[in-house]
Amino acid sequence: MIDKKSQDIDLQTTESGFKYHRGSALSIFKTDRYEDFIALACALVIALGVYILIK
Amino acid sequence: MVYTRKHPALLIIGVVLLAHGFLIAGGYMGGVVKYLSLTRVVNEMTTLSYIFGAIAVIVGLWQWLGSHREGNFDYYSSTIAGGVFILFVAMIVKWYLAPEVAVLSRAIGPIAGTAAKPTYLHTVLGLNYVVLGIVAGMITVNVFKIPDWAQNGVRLSRLGLKTGVILLGTLYSLKELAKLGQLSVVMIGFFVLGSAWLVLLIGAQRKISNSMGGVLAAGVGVCGVSAAVAAAPVVKARSDEIAYTIGTILVFGVICMFLFPVVGHSLGMSYVQFGAWAGTGILNSAQVAGAALAFQPTGDLETLKVGEIFNITRVLFLPIIVLWLAVWYVRRETAAGGTVEQVNTGRIIIEKFPIFVLGFILMFALASTGAFTSKMIPYFRDWLTWLFAFGLTGLGMQITLAAMRQAGGEPLVIGSVVGILKAVLSLIVVLLFVRGTI
Repeated sequence: MIDKKSQDIDLQTTESGFKYHRGSALSIFKTDRYEDFIALACALVIALGVYILIK
Repeated sequence: MVYTRKHPALLIIGVVLLAHGFLIAGGYMGGVVKYLSLTRVVNEMTTLSYIFGAIAVIVGLWQWLGSHREGNFDYYSSTIAGGVFILFVAMIVKWYLAPEVAVLSRAIGPIAGTAAKPTYLHTVLGLNYVVLGIVAGMITVNVFKIPDWAQNGVRLSRLGLKTGVILLGTLYSLKELAKLGQLSVVMIGFFVLGSAWLVLLIGAQRKISNSMGGVLAAGVGVCGVSAAVAAAPVVKARSDEIAYTIGTILVFGVICMFLFPVVGHSLGMSYVQFGAWAGTGILNSAQVAGAALAFQPTGDLETLKVGEIFNITRVLFLPIIVLWLAVWYVRRETAAGGTVEQVNTGRIIIEKFPIFVLGFILMFALASTGAFTSKMIPYFRDWLTWLFAFGLTGLGMQITLAAMRQAGGEPLVIGSVVGILKAVLSLIVVLLFVRGTI
């Protein structure tokens, strides 16, 4: 296992065969980095929402 | 492949939530609200039930009766059912199960403490919405199985946890971060490098492969799964070696997540002490959050704040560990007479470094500008509570017995020995040297 993305390491997948066609057993996103950016976007939207609504 | 399942379950959940919101808002459940001491959260119960009930009804109707075609829209929209399913379980646990457990525990009477400050069984065992949510998730997946229509969306839980960690950056002041930062760098520096070194040492003595030792050292030393994955290419680890490491971290982390809060309450640890201990002694990020919230599920979330600072400091050590392991691996392999294929360590560090940590720093920087007033902080706390409740309940749904059975053999022995040693030593250090509040 050399230089593969973490999404390829999927315990459920190795046990029961290929389970998900996209993402992994832990995430719907294709890479960890993509998930990080989506989380950042979500956090910024929430912060902006609180800022606008509570200000 | 079409991911959306034509199933009425989401619609039914939506109707139940709308009915729940109506009953709470109309005061028809006044007896239950009073019995479970839910008066404080009536507004939250009404609002969340209406919002997510409406979403579930609309999306549920469309998923059940509409026609669906393969593509990105189908893939991502199909996750809504699983997301609502996690949230529904989290709501039941947070609003009804955890308060009921507290009522029963109080009925038994105090088991320790004084008359002025009694300690009840549920407090000592940490039986709050966090722990019960994780347990509910584990029971769901291992006993009942995740329903087909929710499978895709259950994988949203880690996104919830990462969003929570980033948003947590809004709660720190510069003074707090400076104080906790110094403490965490010293403690994490010692324990991360120390435990990684110890894994390599014991691994060499027990004659496990260099790649196995390297990936286990990163996993046990730094931040669990992410570190194991980041270190894998530089030590040329195989899939089964990574699976062993992840299994070991998972088994050890799950035990710690439930055990740490019990020990913390028994020893009367402060929020800062427990946060520092959990952030140092527990291997995986999500489990640090789980233990910290299990210790202090409500209020100002000081334990979570301290625990996550330690956790993030640990992630910041990731490049150092990867570089160290790269050098170590080349030396070991060369000394054994082997040839080592060159890997670009710098590229691996950049590729694997978790961006959500930078997101946390960005959010803290925004908060430091004074953009978020004290009036906004309670709203951020409410968001955090729900994001972590969602993420941890979903995490429970991903802890399968089959996944834990991946652990075994030498990696489990070495990982457990070093993990226990790190947990015990960090507990002693915290009890001796960590004082004060934030």
